[in-house]
Amino acid sequence: MVGEELVSGPFLDADGMKALGAALAITVTGLASAWAEKEIGTAAIGAMAENEGLFGKGLILTVIPETIVIFGLVASLLINSA
Amino acid sequence: MSRPKEMTKAVIVGHKSILKDTIDSLHDTNLFHIEDFVEDESGFKISKPFNNAEEVSKKLVKIRSISNFLGIVKKEPVVQNTDSVLRDLDSKLNELDRTIATKTESIAQLDNELKDLDSQKKEILPYLSINLDFDDYRGYENLKVFAGTVKGSLDGSQISSITKAYELYSDPQSKAVVLFVAKKDADKVSELLQDLGFRDLRVPERGGVPSELLRFIEQKEAEVTKKTESLRADIESLKVKYTDFILSSDEVLSIESQKAELPLRIATSANAFIIEGWTPTEDYDKVVSAVNSATNGKAYVTSLEIDEEDEEHVPVEYNNSKIAAPMQEIMDLYSRPKYTELDPSSVILFTFPLMYGLILGDIGYALILGVLALAVKKAVKSDAVKPLMNILIYCQISTFIFGIIYGEFLGFSLASLHTAHGVVPGLIPGWETIVLFGGLSGEEFTFPIHRTHMIMTMIGVTVIIGLLQLNLGFLLGFSNIARHHGFMHGLLEKGSWIIIEVGVLIAAIGVLGGNSILTYVGAAVFVIAVLMLLKGEGIQGVVELPSLMGNALSYSRIIAVGLSSIYIASTVNDIAFKMIWADHSQIGFLAIAAIIVFILGHSLNTVLSIIAPGLHALRLQYVEFFGKFYSGGGKKYNPFGYIRKYTEE
Repeated sequence: MVGEELVSGPFLDADGMKALGAALAITVTGLASAWAEKEIGTAAIGAMAENEGLFGKGLILTVIPETIVIFGLVASLLINSA
Repeated sequence: MSRPKEMTKAVIVGHKSILKDTIDSLHDTNLFHIEDFVEDESGFKISKPFNNAEEVSKKLVKIRSISNFLGIVKKEPVVQNTDSVLRDLDSKLNELDRTIATKTESIAQLDNELKDLDSQKKEILPYLSINLDFDDYRGYENLKVFAGTVKGSLDGSQISSITKAYELYSDPQSKAVVLFVAKKDADKVSELLQDLGFRDLRVPERGGVPSELLRFIEQKEAEVTKKTESLRADIESLKVKYTDFILSSDEVLSIESQKAELPLRIATSANAFIIEGWTPTEDYDKVVSAVNSATNGKAYVTSLEIDEEDEEHVPVEYNNSKIAAPMQEIMDLYSRPKYTELDPSSVILFTFPLMYGLILGDIGYALILGVLALAVKKAVKSDAVKPLMNILIYCQISTFIFGIIYGEFLGFSLASLHTAHGVVPGLIPGWETIVLFGGLSGEEFTFPIHRTHMIMTMIGVTVIIGLLQLNLGFLLGFSNIARHHGFMHGLLEKGSWIIIEVGVLIAAIGVLGGNSILTYVGAAVFVIAVLMLLKGEGIQGVVELPSLMGNALSYSRIIAVGLSSIYIASTVNDIAFKMIWADHSQIGFLAIAAIIVFILGHSLNTVLSIIAPGLHALRLQYVEFFGKFYSGGGKKYNPFGYIRKYTEE
């Protein structure tokens, strides 16, 4: 049967699982960073419309969630090198 | 490491008769930051502006609106004498105002005329091919004139069914018709026309044949446009002629207005005034002697003790060397230091370019951006741009040094590297990579550092660099607190963090080395340090313990962002070179396309090389580093005075 051949081996071998895990680590954290930065960015733009002097603070606050994706990258590198 | 300039609080007291002289002398020194007086129960009141204030601000408004209208831009100053500017101010200003008013009025009139001509032209156009004087359209007793457009087509046969006595003219292009019939037939003809979708057109009032009329109007239009243009040119020449006058009188009037309105900011009684404010201690004597000589010693000037409550309000002036001064921009973007704090400008002078260089680390980009920054600095005179370019230059010096350490040039590796998968050739023949010692997870630590081949090791290295900077932050925080609240406070609040790290380090060595005594010693040190922290910062301090790890790991962005830059650059190189190799036999289309890809790709990465490493290096200073010791929120030292550019006393 055709179907049996497909399921005979594992769908993903160990290397595949590793690659998938690494990809997930970076994808999900990337999305999370983007989501968080979007919220902060909109608020920061709103605040800047009131007071331009808040540009520096707004910039810093906006890049804070960037840490999430950096950690994701580190995690995916760790998975890959393990 | 510097502190903000030391400030002295000073009070000037005198009789109101010498107020003006005092204000003039303070303004000239441009060293005295005046503390605005807030009315309280003391009985002192703020005073009224000087008599000339209203007049001065009226003139100022006038000159600024003129300057706005003419679109005056700041230019290389031509310095003029204040007195001569003031002497001619009224007459020149009135003359300028009048000239501009009459010119703009004439322009408005001409514009109206132009609009009028335009609508006349529009009225004539439908009749253009009907060669009939417009005066012939009107003034009949027994004739009815239909002038308008029809939707369908109108010809004589339709009308001749009603009457034979008619005269029909039509313009096939605009579908305009002019029909003369006897008044008695008018009703019937009107019905016929309604069926054809007839709409009345206005008959121009001016008499004459349409084509001649049109030529006449167009001629007039040209005349009017020419007149407006010459008026506009006149205004443009006014701009050239009066730019110096406007800039210098704006300056003189601004100064006058500042002085005239100062009484609103100080305390006065019926006959006396008190001015309170701050001056850098080094300049205090200058202020005293300036006030004394202007008032013949009639004003009383004295310095006051600064108590703890005052310290919050002391205006802050940076006290940095010329080299560290550009970093003040980075400080101001975050927040100016408080008077009682250390000013970290001279620390981030090293740490910011260090982080930037660690991230970018590429000789090629360092050269491109360095040259760009130098060129912009040369070309743009603006005071706002210069410090930024200086910071960029500092960063490129660091990038260049790390470019050598990393052995990178526009994403190419300069030294050749032998790996398990074969040899990666370098750009410089004969430069071989040297293996120094083993790195993390089977990697080797080499010179030059191939970042793409030792990612795990570099993550470790960057986290250690991070820990070093964080500890520098704790030390600065310790110094800040110890200075104001004593050594013990500093030790408990900031020192305890360092002891915690030492404890963890000892325990880690114990675990890795299998030495259980060392492990226990480390754990004991850790517990003691946590207790110290609990005493120093309370429960928040303990809750924040895990953030230390987060902060340190955050420094791994140095390698992460750096790698992204390398990969973009080497992808561009790969694409470009594959395209050239594809037809290496001749210089063809692909070779040119490859060069375009190479230039565009690296331009994009150059722009990214300012933004990404810049933002991340900045963030590491602001969030991770400053979080350990810096609070900011100082008030800017803004002395009463004016930096003259276009005038002199």
